[in-house]
Amino acid sequence: MTLCDDIRLQELMTAIAADKGDEIAQVDRALADFPDDPRLHFLRGSLLAAIGRPIEALSALKAAVALAPDFAIARFQLGFFQLTSGEAGDALSTWGPLALLPDGHYLRTFVAGLTYLIRDEFAAAIEQLRLGIATNEENLPLNRDMQLIIDRISELTAGDAGDETMSATSLLLGQFSGRSN
Amino acid sequence: MKATRETGLDIVTDPVRAEASLWRRARFEDDSRSRETLFNRYIVLARSIAARHFGWRRRAVDRGDLEQFAYEGLLQALDRYDPLLGVPFGAYARPRIAGNVADGMKRMSDLDAQLSQRQRLRQERMRSLGPIEAAPADPLAALADLAVDLALGLMLEGTGMVEQADGIDRRPTPYEGLAWRQTQAAIAAELERLPANEGAVIRQHYHTGLTFAHIADLLRLTRGRVSQLHKSAIERLRRRLRHH
Repeated sequence: MTLCDDIRLQELMTAIAADKGDEIAQVDRALADFPDDPRLHFLRGSLLAAIGRPIEALSALKAAVALAPDFAIARFQLGFFQLTSGEAGDALSTWGPLALLPDGHYLRTFVAGLTYLIRDEFAAAIEQLRLGIATNEENLPLNRDMQLIIDRISELTAGDAGDETMSATSLLLGQFSGRSN
Repeated sequence: MKATRETGLDIVTDPVRAEASLWRRARFEDDSRSRETLFNRYIVLARSIAARHFGWRRRAVDRGDLEQFAYEGLLQALDRYDPLLGVPFGAYARPRIAGNVADGMKRMSDLDAQLSQRQRLRQERMRSLGPIEAAPADPLAALADLAVDLALGLMLEGTGMVEQADGIDRRPTPYEGLAWRQTQAAIAAELERLPANEGAVIRQHYHTGLTFAHIADLLRLTRGRVSQLHKSAIERLRRRLRHH
């Protein structure tokens, strides 16, 4: 497996942050040179998710995880993408191997919280999501997503939930460029 | 107060992604259940287009016929739509459904127009339920079963599971007999327990009013198989209801 070197990856990230509208084409060019680089597939999936091309986004995220089964953040985001697509069973299957992360790892804690959420066990979900946020210092956009979910659960359990379903469009792109979709 | 309680999954589900997931399964994974879900999701669109054409009609046509043309257009649109192009399905399907309704009206002969869609559905149903054996061992029992099966069909039409084409709510009123209402409730409960394909045929035939041909198209089955599933579902309901 030949990986894209860090300099080129950084150049790619800078180009994407410039937001010229040709991000996918740029990633595709990099992928043509490094078809087995899971980070590029993950990046492509993130971009496709951000611009509303979910079918292709899912394929790209799956490709990233298939190439690098231990790529934990890609695995978490693939599962989260499946969850936000209403495919809870698929999400749980994808997240399964994250149980092997060290006890207390924020991704493992987030998975526990989201699993409680799927079961409608809201109090336990909030507790785990809060715990995950408290321990996650390396992926701050993810904390924002999880906080949105906590807020939504709180509204729901308070009995005054609004009609609008939270989009929960995951901030995959934010992990690379810091911009939200 | 909300009619249905929001679940944890509802909180995080993005409707656009959820629909994309249905398209992926229906189109690239050949999942007929997802196709049926998409059809059910857009049936209101098909009905509204049929209703508009019904308002514009220049000769006697049955509204049920226009709905069949609309359903046909919807099924074709489901097959031809490319979910990767980013065009919303509703925008893609609307002109195709309308075109199919307009073409269908032009094709209809006066004779077709005289025979209402409801009559056609009942004929189709009758053929499906008709005894297979030329000379059943107990003709009277076979006839009694057939009568019960046809009565079941009438009750299924009236379970109020879905509003009828004419918009009239046929759910039982408090003045209707308790026994009738209890039987309808029992049927509705038993419908949930039918095998998946049988349940789908019954729902689409009696709820939506689809012909067997359209159900076959929707579920990727042959028309003969749909007829068999219909017969077997009705027989199963009859057997189970005997225990009520």
